[in-house]
Amino acid sequence: MSLLRPTAVTLSAALLILGAGACAKSEDDGSKTGSAAPASAGAQVAASASAGAATCTIDQFGGTKLDLKTAKVGFSQSEKEANPFRIAETQSIKDEAAKLGITNLTTTNANSQFNKQISDVEQMIDSGVQLLVIAPLNSDGWDSVFAKASAKKVPIITIDRKINATPCKDYLTFIGSDFAEQGKRAADEMAKAMGNKGKVAILLGAPGNNVTTLRTSGFKDEIAKVAPEIKIVFEQTGNFAREDGQKVTEQLLQSNPDINGIYGENDEMALGAITALKGAGKKAGDVKVVSIDGTKGAVQAIVDGWASAVVESNPRFGPLSFATAQSFFGGEPVGEDIIIQDRQYGTDNAKADLASAY
Amino acid sequence: MTTQVAARPAVNLKGLSQYGVYLAILLLVLYNIFFTPYFLTWSNLRIQLIQVAPIVIVALGMALVIGTEGIDLSVGSVMALAAALIPLYLGYGVVAAIIASVLAGVAVGFINGVLVARVGLQPIVATLALFVGGRGLAVVITHGQLKDVRNPDLIYLGSGDLLGIPVLVWVAAALVLVVAFLVRRTVFGRRLLAIGGNRPATELAGLPVKRVLITVYIVCAVLASIAGLLSVARIQSSDASAVGLLIELSAITAVVVGGTPLTGGRVRVLGTVAGALLMQLVIATMIKHNLQPSTTEMVQAVIILIAVYVARERKTR
Repeated sequence: MSLLRPTAVTLSAALLILGAGACAKSEDDGSKTGSAAPASAGAQVAASASAGAATCTIDQFGGTKLDLKTAKVGFSQSEKEANPFRIAETQSIKDEAAKLGITNLTTTNANSQFNKQISDVEQMIDSGVQLLVIAPLNSDGWDSVFAKASAKKVPIITIDRKINATPCKDYLTFIGSDFAEQGKRAADEMAKAMGNKGKVAILLGAPGNNVTTLRTSGFKDEIAKVAPEIKIVFEQTGNFAREDGQKVTEQLLQSNPDINGIYGENDEMALGAITALKGAGKKAGDVKVVSIDGTKGAVQAIVDGWASAVVESNPRFGPLSFATAQSFFGGEPVGEDIIIQDRQYGTDNAKADLASAY
Repeated sequence: MTTQVAARPAVNLKGLSQYGVYLAILLLVLYNIFFTPYFLTWSNLRIQLIQVAPIVIVALGMALVIGTEGIDLSVGSVMALAAALIPLYLGYGVVAAIIASVLAGVAVGFINGVLVARVGLQPIVATLALFVGGRGLAVVITHGQLKDVRNPDLIYLGSGDLLGIPVLVWVAAALVLVVAFLVRRTVFGRRLLAIGGNRPATELAGLPVKRVLITVYIVCAVLASIAGLLSVARIQSSDASAVGLLIELSAITAVVVGGTPLTGGRVRVLGTVAGALLMQLVIATMIKHNLQPSTTEMVQAVIILIAVYVARERKTR
């Protein structure tokens, strides 16, 4: 009896949690407008490569030509799909593979653990994949993977973050955004929104991350160039998270009430900042908010008047990755550094383009 | 001579470990009054109280568990579970969402309590299981996706005011009073402290040790689930992978800095509140002076070291 009772209660408690889906009823989704945007919307476009940029062919790399449709392809995602960027990235790879008729696609998720990502990729190489698409968690520590991959001549395409190694030898090519350029464009938008003068606070991303470093330096350099009367008075990390963005903004608004611009290095922090602005009794547009990523929530914030501009960091790597792989396996040269064009949302196009935000 | 040297610091340290946290708060406030613009304002106090409220609530439960010579690492995961369940049940109204999230707390606390009291696992190991598994389950429930919350009643809980004071702060203050009453004025509180002071003796005295222990872990987890609920209401979104991340460390810090010994047998409720406030003030001061987050962490480390050092003489109790 005394043993039975706790067991029964524990079981029923576990049932409550596990059965959460059974009788759950969630809030109506207020933003039903075009939530299922066509997969092709907002597909990436490579920025035109400058003439003479390094390229790589299958002869230089080694390996054999093959048909992508029948090839065994592996995709390794780095972080948990807790933010829209990662969700859209994985979905784009899966969608494009389905569209091209690639049936043999394996996807893994390292849940932000680097060791898991390394073993994920090594297992995929052992299982005989012929093409690897990797969204690397870290830029270093990939030597064992490269040794394994080059022994089998498996080409690796790294997306969104770069690996510190030799293209066309260790890996095939990198496809991604120019983060410094994103920061620069955010600075241009900020200068425009603020009329070239005022005080700006920066919500930095997670420390020790090249995305943070480049989005910061790109922004600061451009502000110094185009709008020297804008002063950057405050820089604190919000760790790319909404809650931290909100907390830091609450503190900064209180001790610097004359701030009139906030630059969020990602949308999540900017959305947290907007919640803080509302809590501090500010009106939409009192403080100009500019951020980077292009998630639906942030584009909606432009429509609602709280944000001024959002620079997109396009996560839809599927089409460009497979197109690159196709031309590589077909014997054509591919670029070693493929920088994509990122779109931009402002007050003029936010409403129209909301459906294609991710 | 030697006795004199040994005796004097012992007296001072005892005073420090009991009132040091208040002294530190006083010094920090004085510094800020002189060097931080707009510090002595109602809006500042308001922000600090709102931000510290979830940590205080979690730390109260942690203080009770530490009072029994235990520890609960799963509080952050409980917050995540509570957060994950809220959007699922919000369709039935805010009351249903609150019930669901609190029940999750009861379930986790019960499992923790049974593992510690009946199975006899070390608290740090027992709660480690749900520290890992709880958040995992929460991420599975939400499919790892952030959900926006728009229910006006819930948002009122997170950012509304009652008589000019944020609802969040009222809730935290009420819970502080409840826990203080529990510890000081109830049989349950006496038994809890007795277990922490000397568990074998308490068992020999015929007190219901297992029942009390299970209840303590349930109370701690329920408090954590309330904190999770309030965090969701405040951020106006539920992100199971971020809510309550690392809060177990903030809570333990608040308890220790507040003068509650890790060896059990004593719970300082007001000290715990003060400990949480001190850490919040440190963070606020660093942010307002635009210092690196790594600096904040180092200052926090020094405060913890000092707190543990002044509490050291307790070993020879």
